Amino acid sequence: MPLSQAEPVRTAEARLDVQLGRLRLANPIMVASGTFGYAREMAGLVDLSRLGAILPKTITRQPRPGNPPPRTIETAAGMLNSIGLDNDGLEAFVERQLPYLASLKTTIVVSIAGESCEEFVEMAARLEGVPGIDALELNMSCPNVSHGVDFATDPRLCERVVSGVRKACSYPILAKLTPNVTDVTVIARAAEAGGADALSLINTCLGMAVHWRRRRPVLGNVLGGLSGPAIKPIALRIVYQVAKAVKIPLVGIGGIAGIDDVMEFLITGATAVQVGTANFYNPTVCTRILDALPAALGELGMRSVADVVGTLDADPSPLHRD
Amino acid sequence: MPTHYADHAWHGPVTVEENVTLARDTYRIRLACPEIARRVLPGQFLMLRLPGESDPLLGRPLALYDVVAGPGGQPHSIDLVYLAVGKMTRLLTAVGVGATLEAWGPLGNGFPLTPTKHLLMLAGGIGQTPFLALARAYLGLQRYGDPPRQVVPAEQVSLCYGVRSGDLLAGVEEFRRLGVSVHLSTEDGSLGYRGLVTDLIAPVVRQSAGACRIVCCGPERMMQAAAEIARQLGVPCQVSLESPMACGIGICFSCVKKIRDGSGHWDYRRTCVEGPVFEAADVEFY
Repeated sequence: MPLSQAEPVRTAEARLDVQLGRLRLANPIMVASGTFGYAREMAGLVDLSRLGAILPKTITRQPRPGNPPPRTIETAAGMLNSIGLDNDGLEAFVERQLPYLASLKTTIVVSIAGESCEEFVEMAARLEGVPGIDALELNMSCPNVSHGVDFATDPRLCERVVSGVRKACSYPILAKLTPNVTDVTVIARAAEAGGADALSLINTCLGMAVHWRRRRPVLGNVLGGLSGPAIKPIALRIVYQVAKAVKIPLVGIGGIAGIDDVMEFLITGATAVQVGTANFYNPTVCTRILDALPAALGELGMRSVADVVGTLDADPSPLHRD
Repeated sequence: MPTHYADHAWHGPVTVEENVTLARDTYRIRLACPEIARRVLPGQFLMLRLPGESDPLLGRPLALYDVVAGPGGQPHSIDLVYLAVGKMTRLLTAVGVGATLEAWGPLGNGFPLTPTKHLLMLAGGIGQTPFLALARAYLGLQRYGDPPRQVVPAEQVSLCYGVRSGDLLAGVEEFRRLGVSVHLSTEDGSLGYRGLVTDLIAPVVRQSAGACRIVCCGPERMMQAAAEIARQLGVPCQVSLESPMACGIGICFSCVKKIRDGSGHWDYRRTCVEGPVFEAADVEFY
């Protein structure tokens, strides 16, 4: 029996549903864009109906072949990737991938990346009213594709993109931000001002790997995005900082590989989480986390996810230490 | 038409039943996993991971070497053969009998079991690993898959197997015992023909009593050379590609290779779910 079908551990009716602005999720466990294909790939291994939301691989307006291989390399407790938004473009997604996603009962958040503010808006307008979409996530922070323009490194540009998309469609909007800035809270406030329903924190950390004997970079694209357990402390730090800076809900992303990681993000201030790299090396991780979630809430004496969000006791006084 | 989804994959803990040395730095590990053993086909692979570890983090793709029957005669365990070259495979050499690893598979499409009079298997380095099961299937000695696949037996199955040095040759006697005609090469001349294994292709193809088909697994340079030789000889040729993989199930888009379509245009294709076996003529090697 696949692990995904193992008997879930149930404790007295814990409430798992959460609210991200205008978007309601049955539970806080989402899968991060780019780490779950278009979901159909996982249907044999995972009961997709159990997921809080599915974020299919980011789409762009036009097809993109992606970056030359090697595209990934394992690093200590993580991996670098430079996939480069390899995808067949928006129209092919709507025609070939969305009908399957629409057939699922799961919430679908479509991740889009534009090359300009206008293109983000145009894509949102094109997707308006298309069946099967529950929300949009704006990938303003893919480190592998920017041509010197990073929509999530410039607060004015970030606000323009979010507000433009907000006017162009009626979907709830998640703005996915990059950690590769000096102060994420500035960008987070800009996205909030633009009308984002929630912020997804964080995208990958820009990194590099080198073959010293060959004097060559390892990745075909030289630089790549670091993900996996190695970046969890960075993601937690950013969720902590941004939670104090904005009023909109946060979605924690970065190295989540088990129930303990999920609880850490919730406590720190994330209303939901996205599991990313762990899907690659533990394909049934999300359902294992869901099996463990009610008991973890129970351990804190809580009966709903919403009750634990942002309950971190950051008082440094020694009396509060274990 | 190959499926591009790992719909028959199973993910779970597997128990190590054996982990023995076959040649220098080369080991055979036996894993109890009836779910994978009964479904797996020659040329398919599984992802193997050390559970609970975050370094190494990712699973490693390893080709099926053979399926082993349990006490009841049903497929019960699978053998994998690996070369200890990196962080994960070096740790794997220390894993003892009874230990638990994590696996998911079977993955990939395996070799098409197209009927042929003469099957020539070309292996370089550790590339012999997918060929033992393929030879057994083509010699009519075992049926793989669920339901078991019937293969029209080949009259002749040959293995051209090249390594840098003779002490790296692994499992040669197992191939001979099946009735495979084995042709060895070493780069240092320590055993068999001295030189590159691709030099053996043309003479072995000429020994064919009937139509011949070549399947290759090994370093990309070897497969590129083999593809060119096969083209000149007018013999169909398929290659099993290996490219760095993170997931093995088609979700990460890491393991891409340039593959040409019918019109000659290339696109990046995922070797895990769209391969790992491709027509040699369709592959843009560099």
